[in-house]
Amino acid sequence: MNLVGAPIDRVDGRRKITGTARYAAETPLPGLTYAVMVESTIPAGTIAAVDAAAATRASGVIAVLTYENAPKVEQHKVAGMTDRNLPLLQDRIVRYDRQPVAVVVADTFERATDAASLVRIRYDTSVPALSLAHGSGYHPEHSHGDEPSVYERGNVDAAFAGADVKIDRTYTTPVEHHNPMEPHATVATWDGDVLTVYDATQGVFGTRSRLAVAFGIPPANVRVVCPFVGGGFGSKGSAWAHTVLAAMAARAVKRPVKLVLARPQMFGSVGYRPATIQRVTLGAKRDGTLVSTLHEVRSQTSIFDEFVEPSAELTKMLYAVPNVRTINTVVPLNAATPTFMRAPGESSGSFALESAMDELAYAVGLDPLEVRLRNHADSDPSKQLPFSSKSLRECYSVGAERFGWSRRVPRARSMRDGGLLVGMGVASATYPTNRSAASALVRLSSDGTAHVFAGTQDLGTGAYTVFSQVAAEELGIPVSSVRFELGDTNFPMGPVSGGSQTTASVGNAVSVAARSARDRAIGLALGDPQSSLHGHDADAIDVRDGRIFLRDRPDVGDTYAAILGRHPQGEIEERGDARPGDEKTAFSMHAFGAQFAEVRVDPELGTVRVVKMVGAFASGRILNAKTARSQYLGGMVWGLSMALHEITRTDARSGRIMNANLADYLVPVNKDVPSDFEAYIVPEDDPNVNPLGVKGIGEIGIVGAAAAIANAVYHATGTRVRDLPIQPEKLV
Amino acid sequence: MPVDVGPRAGPHPVPVTLTINGMRHDLTIEPRVTLLDALREYANLPGTKKGCDQGTCGACTVLVNGRRIDSCLTLAIMHTGARITTIEGLADGDRLHPMQAAFLEHDGFQCGYCTPGQILSAVALLAEKRPLDDASIREFMSGNICRCGAYKNIVDAVAAAGKQNV
Amino acid sequence: MIPTKFEYAKPSSLDEAFALLAEHGPDAKLLAGGHSLIPMMKLRLAEPEMLIDLAGIPGLTGITVRDGRVSIGAMTKHATLAASEELRQHAPVLFEAANALGDPQVRNRGTIGGALANGDPGCDYAAVMLALDATFTVAGKGGTREEAASSFMVGMFETTLSPEEVLVGVSFAAAPASAYVKYAHPASGYPLVGAAVVLSMNGDAISEARVGVTGVGDHAFRAGSVEKALAGVRPSDRTALEGACAGSAAGVDVRSEPAAGAGYRSAMCDVYVSRAVLAATRG
Repeated sequence: MNLVGAPIDRVDGRRKITGTARYAAETPLPGLTYAVMVESTIPAGTIAAVDAAAATRASGVIAVLTYENAPKVEQHKVAGMTDRNLPLLQDRIVRYDRQPVAVVVADTFERATDAASLVRIRYDTSVPALSLAHGSGYHPEHSHGDEPSVYERGNVDAAFAGADVKIDRTYTTPVEHHNPMEPHATVATWDGDVLTVYDATQGVFGTRSRLAVAFGIPPANVRVVCPFVGGGFGSKGSAWAHTVLAAMAARAVKRPVKLVLARPQMFGSVGYRPATIQRVTLGAKRDGTLVSTLHEVRSQTSIFDEFVEPSAELTKMLYAVPNVRTINTVVPLNAATPTFMRAPGESSGSFALESAMDELAYAVGLDPLEVRLRNHADSDPSKQLPFSSKSLRECYSVGAERFGWSRRVPRARSMRDGGLLVGMGVASATYPTNRSAASALVRLSSDGTAHVFAGTQDLGTGAYTVFSQVAAEELGIPVSSVRFELGDTNFPMGPVSGGSQTTASVGNAVSVAARSARDRAIGLALGDPQSSLHGHDADAIDVRDGRIFLRDRPDVGDTYAAILGRHPQGEIEERGDARPGDEKTAFSMHAFGAQFAEVRVDPELGTVRVVKMVGAFASGRILNAKTARSQYLGGMVWGLSMALHEITRTDARSGRIMNANLADYLVPVNKDVPSDFEAYIVPEDDPNVNPLGVKGIGEIGIVGAAAAIANAVYHATGTRVRDLPIQPEKLV
Repeated sequence: MPVDVGPRAGPHPVPVTLTINGMRHDLTIEPRVTLLDALREYANLPGTKKGCDQGTCGACTVLVNGRRIDSCLTLAIMHTGARITTIEGLADGDRLHPMQAAFLEHDGFQCGYCTPGQILSAVALLAEKRPLDDASIREFMSGNICRCGAYKNIVDAVAAAGKQNV
Repeated sequence: MIPTKFEYAKPSSLDEAFALLAEHGPDAKLLAGGHSLIPMMKLRLAEPEMLIDLAGIPGLTGITVRDGRVSIGAMTKHATLAASEELRQHAPVLFEAANALGDPQVRNRGTIGGALANGDPGCDYAAVMLALDATFTVAGKGGTREEAASSFMVGMFETTLSPEEVLVGVSFAAAPASAYVKYAHPASGYPLVGAAVVLSMNGDAISEARVGVTGVGDHAFRAGSVEKALAGVRPSDRTALEGACAGSAAGVDVRSEPAAGAGYRSAMCDVYVSRAVLAATRG
């Protein structure tokens, strides 16, 4: 059967289109109360006085928690890439604008919100650190994972000094907020010392351990549930303050508490992509071959935690350059802690590197695609390992052909469409293939159906669907006979849904569990005198449509339903565990892609319209071509947004975020995205990367997309915008 | 002689009767409760989503007397006597509305959170007899933000459902 | 994101509304579509104790054209204007503004009277009313009065409407040679620059022009110097047109915000005014 790969509709789709999918805030619990967070209005200082009297007196109010009366909890993180230090009302220090400083609980949402506006807080302000450019920074120990923050191969200074052609440019990217459509939400309820939390999260197990640490209780006493999550993009990858505060409030009022962030609070304490200042130097020969690359990244973190935007990681491996230096500097600011946001590092870094590559193409008078081909890395120059598979050349050629790259006139500002300037740009894309340990459980029942459980999440990625396909294929049953459940710490453990690793991690676990269940069912049949398969050899068996049969004599067989019907328990259960092997020591594993963009620029207004985008991506085996394409397209929309729309503005003096809502923070709407917008899947067979042969697809779609658009804008106008987003003002 | 000023209500919770998906809902709510919060928090109909609560994202789109509106920018008490349709009332029993089926077939969503609003907005778009070319659909679906970026598939879904309708 | 508490009333006549207004004075607010007022109430920029819903009062909606004059009820929704064939014919400037305002959901609730009575400096209609030289009809306990759009709109969120009055309609002379174009804020849709132009033509030359601009300054304004300069200009003469439209925001304290700085906005004001003139001549 070829269930895997089939472009089937989402198995959870019906619940989403009928409004019956339940998101965290929609958990109905008897006696539910409503909590609302009050946030600081200054970026630095201390709380001088709290006046909660009016709020406490307001009708319907059950509790007002501030640092003066909040129960003691652990604010500090323990370990793990997604764990964060959290401000949990434990002290009077204000570290950033919009830090939680109080929580009000009332019987209705209206009364809680109203009362929250009555909490009066007086601050002693201190001078905030707000400048990324001028603040003092440091080199963190690691830029990402185990990667050192200062890396060099060869001798960049010497190579650059001797280069025929030199590019030395600085690119900047702004703070961006994820803004998933579903605001972060937590419903928390205690039963004695046992806590149950319905949370909008990308990682139920990470949230569980954070809550266990905060309250000093065993993880087994915490259950986190999240069957649906309305987008995350990284912001729901960590447990943030509001989740702990909701649980704290529930414990304090001894009733279930619902805490939903208002949209402006989505700009507060749930992470963001930090601003970066990136210097890129390229030294090249006249033929466009690179001799050196320097990539210096300066990014912001908070004064109470460390997050590094790893923008230079791709620079280490994307091109065959003998001399490369990358440096990460982080600058602690009075701002919330940044976090992973769709392709952290690769998205911001590719804007800089791929813009610089475009600048090099003009400097040496070559087609930008040709420059990239001349610097193609056949093996990973940083790890000095072969790639497990790499189809970048195919991505370039498929993309160029589908896009019609040959239409491009080389010179900048040379193409017109009536009064509009026309430009075309290209950029490379890459994203590492990550994988973590994961487990899954398959229960095969006497009705012939399989119930599969895994403690993972579906952010809209298609996890429900592709894991159902994997289970169905391994078991030899139709997808409609599989019921897949996720998002619950009562299920076998899975990793955070981040780093495009869910399918590679959990998919392999589902595969192992399903195969075990199938093998066990086969074993039952072979050993069962009542089965027509009794005594046959397991190697001679095939399974299809829920029926186990002899490959050479398909008429001799038995069904799962019949086999399990005769089984004393009526069902069997098998657990599958999968973890990365030693492939990482043998191969460098990455997905690759190519992005092409065409723009029209109105020279009078400076407005940019993307009229065409084509992405071509190779990410190993594709489990569902329909949902995979959607993931790629979504990433490309994010790239378009990064290029033209998104920026969070902080007032340079007050340190306050000025556009904390969706009427002032720009994200694309339907009419911003052209109909000529397509992602092509470049077939790729990778036997080395993991048993399923899959690479991640959720993030690579954004990588390079902003650069492709910026490069197209340069081609159209002759103006190089090195500071995102490309607002009209920058082009007139 | 004082003029009769008609019925007045509030500010405390008052009885408000809404007709949602053909069903009568007797709620007791403050006049300041938005239609969106009335649906989600009082009528047990959380299919209508809260995204921005300020009329920008369209996740809260419902139909009132067949017209699409942002339920976050209107008060429940203003709609007594109106015919309110939410996503929960769109399918005919187990039979999906053609627009729902088209969204499923064309993968017009990912996380699903903006989806009820997108679908109701699209149903209204067809009722408004808008042209069904790409540009028109994109323009008239631009009151609904999809952060996952499913726009292309949304346009395809609306166009496909529109063809069926004609 | 929730209003302060208020009492809600839905009068069925203007007299009932006047009585409520008299009783509550400045503590009362009139609710038309609610799309300006309710967001302001959620942000606590308006905190009425009495909210008077005008939706129950008959006779406040509709578009009528009689003797070359267009009259529009204050409670007429943006969507109604945006779909009106009569308006497209007799006042394309308003038809286009209604179509460019907000999004389909907003247009289905918001009303022209609500938008104008609110005095929002970013209101598309403000420029249109100035260019149309419209007359506003205001009803009070003692009867109705009429006031020119130009004197009605005083400043940012400021009009001459007293707390005891209701804006019941607007009217203006039909303006078939007119247009509205705008540079919309990419997220909110509010005009960063909105240019409304009403022309009288003498052959292919402009005999008289009225130009309203919104979004640029504290409140909408007539670009008087441009109007004068446009007289006699043939719009097909690009140089003459651009020359006449130059300095359209001269003397205005141009707003600056991240989405569009003051310098860019002033420059774009000229471009949009000239594009509106061209659009108006295309009929």
